[in-house]
Amino acid sequence: MRKRVISFVVLLVALSIVLIELFPIMVVIVNGFKRDIDIWSKNPFYFKPTLRSYQLIFTHREFPRSLRNSFVVASLSALVSVSLGSMAAYGLSRFNFKFNDALIFILLMVRMIPQISLAVPFYMIFRSIGLNDNVLGLSLAHISFNLPYVVALLLPFFSSIPREYEEAAKVDGCRTFQIFLKIFFPLASAGIVVAAVFAFLMSWNEFIYALVLTGTRAKTAPIVVNAFLGQYAPLWGQLSAAGTIMLLPVFAVTLSLQRYIIRGLSAGGIKG
Amino acid sequence: MQSSRSMVIDPKKRGRFLAPFFVFVLPALIVVGAILAYPVIYALAISLTDRELLYLGKTNFIGLRNYSEMIRDRNFWHSLSLQLGFIAIAIPIQLVIGLFVAILFNREFPFSKILRSLLMLPVFVLPVLSGLTWRLMLQPSYGVLASFFNSISLGPIAWLADTRYAYVAILLQDIWRMWPFMFMIIYAGLSSMPSEYVEAARIDGANFFQRFWYVLLPYLKSVIATAFLLRMIDALRIFSEVYVMTYGGPSNATMLLSLYIHKQAFEFGRLSYAASVAVFLLIVALFISYFVVKRGLRGEIE
Repeated sequence: MRKRVISFVVLLVALSIVLIELFPIMVVIVNGFKRDIDIWSKNPFYFKPTLRSYQLIFTHREFPRSLRNSFVVASLSALVSVSLGSMAAYGLSRFNFKFNDALIFILLMVRMIPQISLAVPFYMIFRSIGLNDNVLGLSLAHISFNLPYVVALLLPFFSSIPREYEEAAKVDGCRTFQIFLKIFFPLASAGIVVAAVFAFLMSWNEFIYALVLTGTRAKTAPIVVNAFLGQYAPLWGQLSAAGTIMLLPVFAVTLSLQRYIIRGLSAGGIKG
Repeated sequence: MQSSRSMVIDPKKRGRFLAPFFVFVLPALIVVGAILAYPVIYALAISLTDRELLYLGKTNFIGLRNYSEMIRDRNFWHSLSLQLGFIAIAIPIQLVIGLFVAILFNREFPFSKILRSLLMLPVFVLPVLSGLTWRLMLQPSYGVLASFFNSISLGPIAWLADTRYAYVAILLQDIWRMWPFMFMIIYAGLSSMPSEYVEAARIDGANFFQRFWYVLLPYLKSVIATAFLLRMIDALRIFSEVYVMTYGGPSNATMLLSLYIHKQAFEFGRLSYAASVAVFLLIVALFISYFVVKRGLRGEIE
C-alpha cells in the first residue's frame, strides 16, 4: 500500500514536470490554430480554433518552397554522409592502417567544430565558385558536420560485429565490398538508420549556414519561419503553424527512436 | 583498437589489406578534407589578411594584427565573459535539475516510459523555433510567461529589451531546452548502476542524503563529467536561438561569441577580423572536444 502511494506521488510529480516542460511546445501548437487577435488576448485557452494560419502558410510566397528546400538539403546531406560515413566506419573498424587511431581521433574531434567558425570561409569559398544560395552548396556545408557525426555513431556499431561473420563470408568466397554490402550493412542496419535519421534532423534544424549561405532561392524553412516575425507586425499565428510543421519530424524521431537517443546525442549533439 | 591488433598481418599481404582500406576510407577523407579541413585552413589564412566583405581591391597580408586587435577589443572580452557566464550558470542548473529528475525516474511508476520520452522533446526542438517561442512568451504585453511573472509581482518587465533581463531570458531558454539532455545522460548512467550498491548502503543505515553523496554521485562522476563537457561545447556554439530572440542586443547584453563573429563578418563586413575570432572559438572548441574524445574513446571504440 505504502509503495503504491509513493509511486502515485512520483507519477504526479513527474507528470507536472513533463507538463511544465512541454508548455512552450504546446504554446506553439495551440497558437497555430488561433487567429492573431486571440494570440494577443489575455486568456490563452479561450479561443475558436481555425485553420486560417495553415491555409496562409501553404499559400505563402516562400514557405512551401523553403520546406521543400529543407527536405532536399536534409535528405541529400544525410544520404551522402551515411553512404560515405558507413564505408569509412567499416574501413576504420576492420583494416589495419598505421594512422587508423589518429584518423579516428581527428574525426571524432572535428564533429564538434562550431558552425559559425566555418561560416565565414564557406561564404567566401562558395561565393567564388558560385555555390552561394544553392541547395547543393548548402547540402555540402551540412555534410561537414553530418559526415564526422555518422562515423562517430557507426564506429562502435561496426566494431561490435564479431569478426567470425566476415571470416565465414570470406570462406564462402565473398570479396571485401560484398562482405560490406551483404554482411555488414544488414547487421548494422539499426545503427545506419539511426545515423541517417539523426543526420536528417540536424540538417532540418540547422540555421547558421542557411542564414549565411542562402539568399532567395535556397532558403530553408527555419529562415522563413524566422521571417514571419517581420519588421513591423509579427505574424505569430503563421509562425506557429509553420513551426508546428517543422516539429513533425522531430516528434516522429524522438518518439520512435528513444532506444538510440542517448547514443545519438552523445555522438554529436543536435544543436544548429 | 583491439580488432586491428588481433589481426596479424603478413608484410607481403599488407598491400592487399591497404587497398580496401583506401577504397572504403578515402572517399570520406577526401570529402572531409574538402569541406572541413580546407575551410579551416582558409579561415586561418584570411585571418592573417585585411579582407573586407565589400572591398574589392587588393587584400594585404597583415600577420597577427587581427588577433592583437581581438585581444585589445573590449567587446570581444565582453562576449567571452558572457559565454563563460553561460557555462557557469546554465550548465550547473541543468545538471542539478537533470540529476534530481533522473533520480525520480529511476524508480518504477506508471507511464514512466512515455513520460521519459516526452521529456526529451525539447532537446530536439529547432533552436530557432525555441527562441521565437520564448520571445513570444516573454512579450511584456501579451506573453504568457511575462503575465505569469507579472502575477507573482516580478514585473512588468520588458524581458528582451532590458539589458539586465535579456541575458536572463536567454539563460532561461537554454535551461528549459537542454536540462533534459543532462537528465537523459545521467538517467542512462543511473540505470546501469547495480542496485546492490544502494541496497548495501541502505542496510548499512545510510539515509537518502548519504546514499546520494557517497554512492550515487561517485558512481555518476564520469558520466556527469562527459555530459558537462558536451554541454560546454554546445554552449560555445549557441547562435540561432539568441539570434532570433535578441540578435545580441540590447546594446551587446547577449552578444555571445558566435553572434559577435556573425555581426563582425556580415553586418560590419570585416571578414578577416571575424575569421580571427572564429579561429579562436574553433581552437577552444577543439580543445574541449579533445577531452571528450579522450574520455569517450575507451568506451566508444573498444
